[in-house]
Amino acid sequence: MSSTKLEPAASRGTSVRASRPLLGWRTVDLLTVAFLGAAFGIAYWGWGIAYKAPSDALALAFPPLQGITAAPWLIAGVVGGLVIRRPGAALLCEVIAALVSMLPGTQWGATVLISGILQGLGAEIAFAVLGYAAFGVGAAMLAGALAAPLEAVYEWWAYWTDWGMGYKVAYLLILTAAGAVIAGLGGWLLTRALAGAGALNALPPGQEVRERHSV
Amino acid sequence: MARATVPVAATEAEPPRVVTGAVDVSALTWRPYGRREPILADLDLALPPGQRVLLVGPSGSGKSTLLRALAGVLEVADSGELSGTVTIDGEAPHVRPGTVGLVLQEPGSGIVAATIGRDVAFGLENTGVPRSAMPAKVTAALRAVGLTMPEDTPTHALSGGEQQRLALAGALALEPSLLLLDEPTAMLDPGNAAAVRACVGEVVASRQLTTVVVEHRLGPWVDFADRIVVLGRDGRVVADGPPEVVLAERGAELAEQGIWVPGFPAPEPAALPPGLFGPDVLGANLVAVDAADVTVRRSVRLVTGGTRSTLAVDRQWLQARAGQSLALVGPSGSGKSTLVLALAGLVPVDDGVVRVHPDLAHHGEREPAEWDTVDLASTVAWVPQWSSSTIVAGTVLDEVMATSRAVGLVESEAQARAQALLDLLGLGHLEQADPRHLSGGEQRRLAMAAAVTHQPALLLADEATVGQDRLTWAAVLGVVEGLRDAGSAVVLTTHDDAVQARCDRTVVLERPDQPPAPPEPRRPLVGRCGPLSLLAASAAAIPAGVLSPHWTATLLVVAVQALLAALALVSPGAGPRPRGRLRGVLTRLVPGAIGALSVAWSSWLLGGRELEVAVGAGLRVLAIVLPSAVLIPHIDADALGDHLAQRLRLPARPVVATAAALQRVHTFGDIWAEIARARRVRGLGASRRSPRAVLAELGALTVGMLIRSLQAAATLAVAMDARGFSTAYRRTWWAPAPWRVADSLLVMASLLPLAVALLARAVLQPL
Repeated sequence: MSSTKLEPAASRGTSVRASRPLLGWRTVDLLTVAFLGAAFGIAYWGWGIAYKAPSDALALAFPPLQGITAAPWLIAGVVGGLVIRRPGAALLCEVIAALVSMLPGTQWGATVLISGILQGLGAEIAFAVLGYAAFGVGAAMLAGALAAPLEAVYEWWAYWTDWGMGYKVAYLLILTAAGAVIAGLGGWLLTRALAGAGALNALPPGQEVRERHSV
Repeated sequence: MARATVPVAATEAEPPRVVTGAVDVSALTWRPYGRREPILADLDLALPPGQRVLLVGPSGSGKSTLLRALAGVLEVADSGELSGTVTIDGEAPHVRPGTVGLVLQEPGSGIVAATIGRDVAFGLENTGVPRSAMPAKVTAALRAVGLTMPEDTPTHALSGGEQQRLALAGALALEPSLLLLDEPTAMLDPGNAAAVRACVGEVVASRQLTTVVVEHRLGPWVDFADRIVVLGRDGRVVADGPPEVVLAERGAELAEQGIWVPGFPAPEPAALPPGLFGPDVLGANLVAVDAADVTVRRSVRLVTGGTRSTLAVDRQWLQARAGQSLALVGPSGSGKSTLVLALAGLVPVDDGVVRVHPDLAHHGEREPAEWDTVDLASTVAWVPQWSSSTIVAGTVLDEVMATSRAVGLVESEAQARAQALLDLLGLGHLEQADPRHLSGGEQRRLAMAAAVTHQPALLLADEATVGQDRLTWAAVLGVVEGLRDAGSAVVLTTHDDAVQARCDRTVVLERPDQPPAPPEPRRPLVGRCGPLSLLAASAAAIPAGVLSPHWTATLLVVAVQALLAALALVSPGAGPRPRGRLRGVLTRLVPGAIGALSVAWSSWLLGGRELEVAVGAGLRVLAIVLPSAVLIPHIDADALGDHLAQRLRLPARPVVATAAALQRVHTFGDIWAEIARARRVRGLGASRRSPRAVLAELGALTVGMLIRSLQAAATLAVAMDARGFSTAYRRTWWAPAPWRVADSLLVMASLLPLAVALLARAVLQPL
């Protein structure tokens, strides 16, 4: 049994990376992403019922503002990527969330699976661009932002067929900004809370928290 | 032709048994990140093949950690610095998957599949055993542990003891040479615990397995073991030898350290500082709470819309009196926990009534279920079995003070009492620590302190002494008896004879007779389809909805879909008629219908207030959603995994992990409900309908649910890796993934609405 080689404890500004090789998913990585995804899926389903009233209110003011109430659906990919820090984590987490939210029945039927793939792919691109090496609040907000564009373009075709191009572009921009704040910043805060609660001890965010407050 | 045949006797005779299972641990050191001191320090240990070792030590001495190191899974659910070596017959534990079998403390925590046969086969799948060889091995393993029910029995239908035996069977199927048991009976009732011990004894004797059992109650295991190894608080071996020698020479010393040594009577409960609690609220011996003829049915809502219902408490009568303690005992499944919840007004009763003494009523209301959160908290306290997910504060002291503050006690008085209780429970030095970083045993004691600081008139505690050593056990019972002597009514559910012996009265519950399960109803036609065709057919509705050009065409598409749905739900054959098919579909259509209406409404507003545009948009949503509502509930998690991996050739390990998570989705609702109950009874529930309070409550519940499910994932990872999952790159599968005629028919039928839409497009385009 060799001694574990993990990155040295987080110093200010750098993130603890996943153990090498990056593609060597451990069982706990797979199960964590699957359980996270499933839990988010249930939350997504709940939001699918609750979002209606605020979304309609925003639509009365300016229809593309509905991008704000669509942003919470981007959070699973961000958190999956922040927690696992391996290629594919963001995509897998968002897809499982979409799959689970579909099971009890939603107003979108099987389309949520397509949305899940597009949103997860967007967040995944952000983490890939950063080389799976940065997982601070900036990286989280970038992932939240990039989760939006593919989804927005798909929604132009699937839901917003009656809108003009001006509305469509406005929707894309609003969803991107809201994704950065709600899914990105929100996801970063949630990951920190979970790590602080000792729920991520086997994973890089847990290691960051624990090395900071040794007991 | 003339080839010599091997004599039959020679192939079937037992090969001479090679004795395996020699364990060698050398200079093993483990420091998890976040701790300055190692848990295991430079540990050496050698076990000859076939030895049966009882591994004991006070809480926090690293017993479970050593067990995980022996299984080679130390770093599965934790990260830290590891050095030294562990070998089994000269090789690292993970070289041959299944060499080491591991059974964890919490029943069911390692279950990966929906049926018992499939669960046992999990290790065989991971090690690439061909499917044809699996049934014989699975049957043999199940027989070895005495599970004689059919192999398609659902795993959730097993009792805790049966689940532990199932875990043992899952390990045995891989023919281990070392068996590790981590407090396998700690959470079981005496009957189930004895059955598990007997089963372990037989299996180990017949297979001559090297065995290590971690327990802090030595009594029942002493006859089984031929060696005791004692770990000290610093993670080193402090005593080692044959049980009779170690116990005779060091028994008193071990008992003093807190280990439950046979022959030593239970310790005296710790004495509380006099005057810690105030005067009583209710006269002594008055009935504080009275449950009359109470019946509670509990149902688990399945994610696919169905429910699973059991009779948890059947016409039970119970009275708890002020100044008395009551032990609630009975086998698991007898409804102790549910009855306690009913007494606290935390689950609705289906029949009968729970009422408190008139002097304890709030605003004239005697049923706790009707009180608001602060009133409930001021009178009733509940200590749940699970305490980690109900933590609400950032420091231990704030956690203990939370309810006292919510009910408006004088801060200084409550704080003095809180600190005295923490000192007594051995948590005084942790006052400013983050409660979420405490050990499981410490968190249970913290939950007890947090429950009693405001001196509730009624204390309800669920298995409050599980996992406590002699010293902390005495402290917990001291607090309970102190509150009782101050005039409160106390109800304790327990499997612990020593706790029962200290109580003033005992009530024994029996398992309620369950109404006989109705015979399997006939399956609808759609039930014969596999998960891939169900998904494909649901997806085919998307282009059908999007591409249908005009509201009349969309109406036609929806009509065709409705016709096909009716056909899919037809259930030919013999047997009782399935019930609720249409209702199920309609329930799942509710969100879709709302969505359709709102889309129609906004299209009407934005689309020049034209009725045709609005109707078209609404119908389009319905066309997209209707097939999913019919088809998706018939997707089975295990079958989905089978098909994704075998038919679509997706990577096996992510697929299996996803299927395992889907298998557990229905437990999330229970977790959610339990956290909500804990917050309500502590005075922190969302009672006032202010949006901020509701939002805070939702946030706390979501985070609590996430924490619990992530902890479950980490434990499951340990159990799965102990059965070879970490190296399962060439996996075989217990069940095939056939593509049947029904699947082809379904896909073809699902293309029909799309064809209608395209046809309508072609016809309408020129116009």
